[in-house]
Amino acid sequence: MFENILSVMIFLPIVAGFGVLILPVKKEAARAIGLVSAILVVILGIKVFFNFTGTSGLEFAINIPWFESVGVSYNLGVDGISLLVLMAGSCLFPMAYLLLKTKSKGYYANLMIAQGAMIGAICAADMILFYIFWEIMLLPVFFMIGLYGGPNRLPATLKITLYTIAGSLFMLAAIVYVGVAYHAQTGVWSFDIAQLTALNLSGKAATAAFVFFMLAFAIKIPLFPFHTWLPDAYTEAPTAATFLLSAIMAKIGVYAVIRFVLPVFAEDFARYAIVLAYSGVIGMMYCGIAAIAQKDFKRMLAFSSASHMGIIALGVFCMNVQALTGTLYQIVAHATSTGALFLLIGIIEERMETRNIEDLGGIAYKAPIFAVFFAVAMLASVGLPGTSGFIGEFLIILGAVKFNMAIGVLAGTTLIIGVCYMLWMFQRVFFEKSNARTEGFRDLTAIETLTILPLVILILFMGIYPQPFLDKVTPAALKQVASVSAVQQQLADNTVPVVEQTQEKN
Amino acid sequence: MEHTVSYLVLIPLLPLLGALVLGVMHMATCKGRPLPEKIYSILACAGPVLACILALKVYFGLRLLPEEARYLVQDVFTWIHVGDLNVSMGFFADPLSSLMLLFVTFIGTLIHIYSIGYMAKDENFGKFFAYLNLFLGSMLILVLGNGPVVMFVGWEGVGLCSYLLISYYSQDTNNVLAGNKAFIVNRIGDLGFVLGMSLLFWAIGAGGFDYMSLRANAPQITPAIGLAVCLLLFVGATGKSAQIPLYVWLPDAMAGPTPVSALIHAATMVTAGVYMVARFSFLYVEVPLAGSIVAWIGILTALLAATFGCFQRDIKKILAYSTVSQLGYMFAGVGVAAYSAGIFHVFTHAFFKALLFLGAGSVIYAMHHEQDIWKMGGLKEKMPITYATMLVGALALAGCPLFSGFFSKDEILFSALASGHVGIWFVGLLVAVMTAYYTFRMFFVVFHGKPRDQHAFEAAHEPPRVMTVPLIILAVGALFAGYLNIPSIFGGNLQVSHWLAPSLAEHHPHVSIWIEIIAVLTSIMAFAGGIYIAWKRFGVVEAEEPFYTGMANFAYNKFFVDELYHYLIVVPYKFFGQTIWKSIEPYVTDGPVKIAVWLYGALANAFKVVQVGYVRVYAIYMVIGLSVLSIMISRSLNL
Repeated sequence: MFENILSVMIFLPIVAGFGVLILPVKKEAARAIGLVSAILVVILGIKVFFNFTGTSGLEFAINIPWFESVGVSYNLGVDGISLLVLMAGSCLFPMAYLLLKTKSKGYYANLMIAQGAMIGAICAADMILFYIFWEIMLLPVFFMIGLYGGPNRLPATLKITLYTIAGSLFMLAAIVYVGVAYHAQTGVWSFDIAQLTALNLSGKAATAAFVFFMLAFAIKIPLFPFHTWLPDAYTEAPTAATFLLSAIMAKIGVYAVIRFVLPVFAEDFARYAIVLAYSGVIGMMYCGIAAIAQKDFKRMLAFSSASHMGIIALGVFCMNVQALTGTLYQIVAHATSTGALFLLIGIIEERMETRNIEDLGGIAYKAPIFAVFFAVAMLASVGLPGTSGFIGEFLIILGAVKFNMAIGVLAGTTLIIGVCYMLWMFQRVFFEKSNARTEGFRDLTAIETLTILPLVILILFMGIYPQPFLDKVTPAALKQVASVSAVQQQLADNTVPVVEQTQEKN
Repeated sequence: MEHTVSYLVLIPLLPLLGALVLGVMHMATCKGRPLPEKIYSILACAGPVLACILALKVYFGLRLLPEEARYLVQDVFTWIHVGDLNVSMGFFADPLSSLMLLFVTFIGTLIHIYSIGYMAKDENFGKFFAYLNLFLGSMLILVLGNGPVVMFVGWEGVGLCSYLLISYYSQDTNNVLAGNKAFIVNRIGDLGFVLGMSLLFWAIGAGGFDYMSLRANAPQITPAIGLAVCLLLFVGATGKSAQIPLYVWLPDAMAGPTPVSALIHAATMVTAGVYMVARFSFLYVEVPLAGSIVAWIGILTALLAATFGCFQRDIKKILAYSTVSQLGYMFAGVGVAAYSAGIFHVFTHAFFKALLFLGAGSVIYAMHHEQDIWKMGGLKEKMPITYATMLVGALALAGCPLFSGFFSKDEILFSALASGHVGIWFVGLLVAVMTAYYTFRMFFVVFHGKPRDQHAFEAAHEPPRVMTVPLIILAVGALFAGYLNIPSIFGGNLQVSHWLAPSLAEHHPHVSIWIEIIAVLTSIMAFAGGIYIAWKRFGVVEAEEPFYTGMANFAYNKFFVDELYHYLIVVPYKFFGQTIWKSIEPYVTDGPVKIAVWLYGALANAFKVVQVGYVRVYAIYMVIGLSVLSIMISRSLNL
């Protein structure tokens, strides 16, 4: 069944989701179906992980011609670049079903469809196929925020939807350009990413296509200054949708840059990497500083998440293997830590009926298990060694220092900015005196504890013993970097001082 | 493979396991009936005791090896291997780390034992020891790590534990704020560490990123990069070891329980910066400028902190500033390339400062959590053991001849003088006078004179034996630790320095005996002068609290540095956050989006004008459209 394992992972949740929508099932049954499908996907995902050899190239590949006349095919596969993103997309979902209760079955149905679409986008090795999944995965989010969100959900929904669709249209134009350019150069039609990598694109049109691609992904990640949809959407969305957006969907944006933009537009990428890198670090600092002003802690976490995405994206723009591997690692690390934080905060919201930091306090005394889990996730988020957050962040900063010292220093400030808002929030929510509201805070139940415990263990395990993951990622990262660093070298030789090297000898 | 051993990993692992077990036990039972304290006590002390035994094993293991190849290694697993970067989770023991190991585990064990008495009946007894074990484990990783990255794990780990333990009494907002401050200020230093480490890697790390490879490759580093690396690493040290400008967190850290102050904020964690500079001595030796900067920052910190120490009234604050001041001495030592002198002061300081803090803890315990020295007095009769042991500690700190602090401090001052840093030597001497003064100011006010708070005085009593025995052991250490490194002028042969020699890139300058004599005599005079002033002012029975005005008040308020930082950094930072959120985000960043939306609406409104809703108007549109179309078609067909 290995040939079809990826297709199963994509279509099992999608079919289950549509089934739940159409058939007259009850809310609880929908939840159970969602949970079962999510667990099956987890099992398959783990199977993929352990059977993945990491010898570079696509594994579990499947390639069925679809629109043969224009070279579009149903082309799936996993390689070192997508493996960890796939893990994040497949393994975190059961928690969403276990922890969160809701009013309607549609909520679970949307969650299932979103998961299938995201796995599709991650596994797609054909640009058109990727585009289709990319668009599908926005729809459930639209419904989830619009139907089940907070009081200001409608403007937030409109904003995220229109913003992302606008980006997607640019991308569609760029995809068409790439396909046409390939046809012009080789005489055949193909949207297979492996083929397109061979393209040698230069000139104004190529730069425009590069910008179009980057625009779409910059909105999704989001990169500064295209992040303005994020705080509203994350805050107004129901917890599951926030979880979905922050833990996985944002990462697909970063992943797509590595997968599609880096190899195809190597020259433009190397030339504009410095601009993008500044956008990453400025976004990190900007959102991190804005986070400290938030009174609503979900919004604070939203800014925190945006801040981290800046640093994760930075790893791609540094164009060396350490930084790129760091990004790929951080994609999972951040998915686990931020996912856990949003889920835990969802629990607070459900129990305390407030998201206002000022209304809380002293939760650590009432709910020690909850507080410890939260603290572990928080420490991973601020990149403490021993947690998963450190490995990726360290590799990215290390790579950034090589790329450009100024970028490295700015990237390093994430160490400080992160703890400032996090500790202050932790103080006001978990420490200090408890009040009438938090007096009744119930600690995690056995099921909740067992649901979050694997995540906490994963956070610690990935911090202490990251090498099994890194081994699978590094070869692909090396290959991906090799293509762009040759171009980078060429540019540097042409006396274009785009990429300032630090002066040390290697 | 005689250098490869299998027990190094156990040294940090045992306390870490202890932390895990204690933490889980505490979490599982904290809502029901708590487990008896005895179980926690035994479990809590098991890790440190075993680590201490293993530290001895390391020491004797090293002794068996020939001097030029004295190291033990253990690689547990490959930790991070990406491209050229190859970091193993490995441990490395050489004479330097073995010395650190010995006193960290030994003093750590004593403080665990003392805490059993001090923390008795605390409702979070288990949690406290979980944190304390976690701290010890982190510190041991820091000391034993085989390279900068593993060291950084411990480096950040002790910072975290520091945060947890300072905000231990977390109901009180001020304690939590002190914890936050410690963590954040440490993190500022860590930024320097990470950047320095990264630069170092790109310079010479490709050939292996552990100390031995780095040391072998160190000559390849260019001076500019070397200077940058040394200074960036030192930024890390200023954070962890509380030097200018990042010293501000340490005095506030006294919010934690007193044993924590003794263990973390005096004996172990804060010495990490000095250890790190000594560890990278092979780099610092290449760039003397970096060393000079380190030495000057150190000695100026010593001066500043000693100034503050002379005017404080909280017993723990006085000791805290004395710690900052002594750390300054240590940096002055390693800065003038006298690494063994600096490390030796770390060693002796660990004993007498732990002793002083634990003694202060006994006093605070006896006085029911009173920390103001001007509410104490005459405790000499009530607490004879505490009095005697504190006296030993105070003499050692003040640099009384024949006590441990004298030998180590004298060695630093002598090295400064011998290496030509006369300015540093002179400031150091001044600080020595002040040290003797503020130490005995505190000592006389607390133990001599008349009781200033009769009620508390009546109730004061000697603490239980579990607390006094560690005091006595530490007093023995504070008395005799100095004899391990007696300079030749007193007929010794600098045993500790010789032991450390293989780990350090140190050259011993040959200088005239007279310089040594001058150094010793001036040190003795400094001590005598300081203690004399203190005796004159505070040794008398009627010593009263002075009323501070002018400069003294300024010093009492620590030159308002905290306030300065608050208004220069914290307030603008928060204001900046508010500005981004309230002004920049909605109007600047989101502005173009809003304008785009508005333009779209405006366009729609513009088109709306023509949609008047009257059929006759639409008929006219149709007529116009059809006419234009017909004209165009006829034109194109050339009719």
